[in-house]
Amino acid sequence: MHPTERIIRTLEGKPVDRVPTFCPLVEDRTFNEVLGQPLIPPHKAIDNPITRFFMDTWGPRLTKPILQPILNIGMEKRIKAQQLLGFDAAWSMYEETFIIRDSKTMVRFSGSVYDIIDDGFGNSSYMYRGPGITSREEFEAWPYWPVSDEIAHRGYKFFQKMMKKYGGKMCLCGQASAYGIQESLLWALGFERMPIWFMKEKDLVQRYIDMAEELCMKTIMAMMDAGVIVILQSDDFAFKSGPMMNPKLIDRLFGASYKRIIKAVHDRGGKLIFHSCGDNTLLFDIFIKWGVDGLHAYENTSNVDIFKEKEIHGDQVTIIGGVGIDYLLTDRSKDEEIVDEVKKLIKNLGPGGRFMIGPIHSMSSIPADKLRVMLDAIKKYGKYPISV
Amino acid sequence: MKESLISVQKAVNELMFDEIKGLVFACLDEGIPPLEIIEAGISKGLELVGEQFETGTYFLADLVMAGEVVKEAMPILEEKMDPGAAGQKGKIVLATVEGDIHEIGKNIVGMLLNVNGYEVIDLGVDVSAGKILAAVKETGARLIGLSALLSTMIGGIKEVVDSVVEAGLKDHVKVVIGGACTSEQLKEEMGADGYGETAVQAVKIFDKLSAT
Ligand code: B12
Repeated sequence: MHPTERIIRTLEGKPVDRVPTFCPLVEDRTFNEVLGQPLIPPHKAIDNPITRFFMDTWGPRLTKPILQPILNIGMEKRIKAQQLLGFDAAWSMYEETFIIRDSKTMVRFSGSVYDIIDDGFGNSSYMYRGPGITSREEFEAWPYWPVSDEIAHRGYKFFQKMMKKYGGKMCLCGQASAYGIQESLLWALGFERMPIWFMKEKDLVQRYIDMAEELCMKTIMAMMDAGVIVILQSDDFAFKSGPMMNPKLIDRLFGASYKRIIKAVHDRGGKLIFHSCGDNTLLFDIFIKWGVDGLHAYENTSNVDIFKEKEIHGDQVTIIGGVGIDYLLTDRSKDEEIVDEVKKLIKNLGPGGRFMIGPIHSMSSIPADKLRVMLDAIKKYGKYPISV
Repeated sequence: MKESLISVQKAVNELMFDEIKGLVFACLDEGIPPLEIIEAGISKGLELVGEQFETGTYFLADLVMAGEVVKEAMPILEEKMDPGAAGQKGKIVLATVEGDIHEIGKNIVGMLLNVNGYEVIDLGVDVSAGKILAAVKETGARLIGLSALLSTMIGGIKEVVDSVVEAGLKDHVKVVIGGACTSEQLKEEMGADGYGETAVQAVKIFDKLSAT
């Protein structure tokens, strides 16, 4: 069975030959181990007096000629690494949200600020510093919001190429420069100020949500034009022990946008996987009402109970994820432990279908070999009918 | 209890950001001492917010909002109070461990500790054990709160605990941990003194430890 067919049938709740595998992106270390080459130039290429001088002098003007090509290469190599590892489905991203501000900082066009840092393995990386918009005036004056048609078009070009190169071998789950509507808002305004904005600046919050919806909608439609069938929409709504906001408020603020987006995907014959970190137990009914086909993370370190979720919602939505990155997919675990966990997940979640297995998140500490152990075990024990 | 104090309590509990200042002024006009307004009005209101958080009727954003409501009221009351009465429960050095930049949880914990009577020395995110110890020595704080969300960075907790021990401060300084990758079990493994799953529990644990 072709990986894409396996993924789509699983999202539709139809029988497949084995439990499909899903990869939520790979980070530099994993990627370097698979491809044997650095994802982006080592941090020292950026952190030296000459480069710093140019970055401080020209700032945003370097984004297009320097940063974007590096990101494009990086994004393609991530997709390639996931395919070489042998996953059925890969979170595939086109990333054009960053703008260089100076040698130490970048901004996301959607309103947040980042420090440029060394990731500890010698690679250049970034760290969220905080909100870029702290008042009505700053909101109105924010200079970086993109023209969504242009970004959608570049996303289209990227995915057209990726589909041609990798689409025949696995299912690309696409995301193109549009992050979750709520999380973008959270990063832009800062969590501590967000409740005040909700109360005092309702019109601006709604304008932001509308702009973010437009961006999501256009980039998603562009990816579908390029042949992507499965869309990955990521929006972190929860933390370790529950939703960050009242579920009713989440539904009221973001429900209409997500329903429209998901309907548009379905109208064109597509599927949508929704990723949200943390314990979303109180939100699953809402996500299902919005129309999602699959839900990813079921973060093992949070309070969510993936097995109970199978009982409650297992026939309404496809459960995706389950394998922990806090211990199992690190250098510290033993191969047998990974195999045991895979067997346990498959035994409990495999029967009845609507389950895809894979890491609960991307993380720079995941060794490629541990992913291989996981994938081998899935191929061995994941065949239907399940007989673990 | 006086009607006006109940109104302050209700304003905090029901997150009435726009009303709180007026209600606090009304209490002061009636001659109610600031400390009583804090204890019977504000703290009690926060306690109710905490209960609603634990029973699942309030969420994180509501906790944040309650903090903002209290922040509106506190400057008015502090101005009228003896210096030193604020932060009366003691000092807490708070930080997210080295290599970890998750700050939302730490900030909420800090805000709740602050409005509950602690002086919080917030060192920010990605903070080394050395800096934390230096702050403890400099401020004389006897409590440390550590936030850790990345399991790759839990070593940072151990380093803080070890540096407290090495500095000979183990009997005086207590370390409390919290954040996505922490647990009661991790607390034991790292040799910390307390673990709090939520910001509401953080206040309870610090209250317990500072009483011992
Ligand atoms: C928002 C978020 C981010 C934001 C952070 C923004 C910011 N300014 O803080 C951004 C996007 C930057 C981010 C980045 C990353 N993140 Co992140 N992130 C989250 C997310 C979704 C929510 C965290 C949050 O703010 N929650 C809200 C707050 C209020 O909750 P909290 O921190 O848990 O705090 C509460 C309690 O824990 C407690 N508490 C907190 N601190 C303390 C301290 C004390 C003393 C006490 C008593 C209690 C206490 O009280 C708080 C209130 O009740 C979590 C998911 C999750 N399960 O938490 C992932 C998560 C923490 N992130 C994760 C990862 C992997 C990353 C990245 C590595 C992603 C990547 N691949 O690049 C980077 C790492 C960056 C770095 N070096 O730190 C993983 C960690 C996995 C692991 N086991 O290590 C998580 C668990 C997601 C997942 N599905 O696995 N992240």
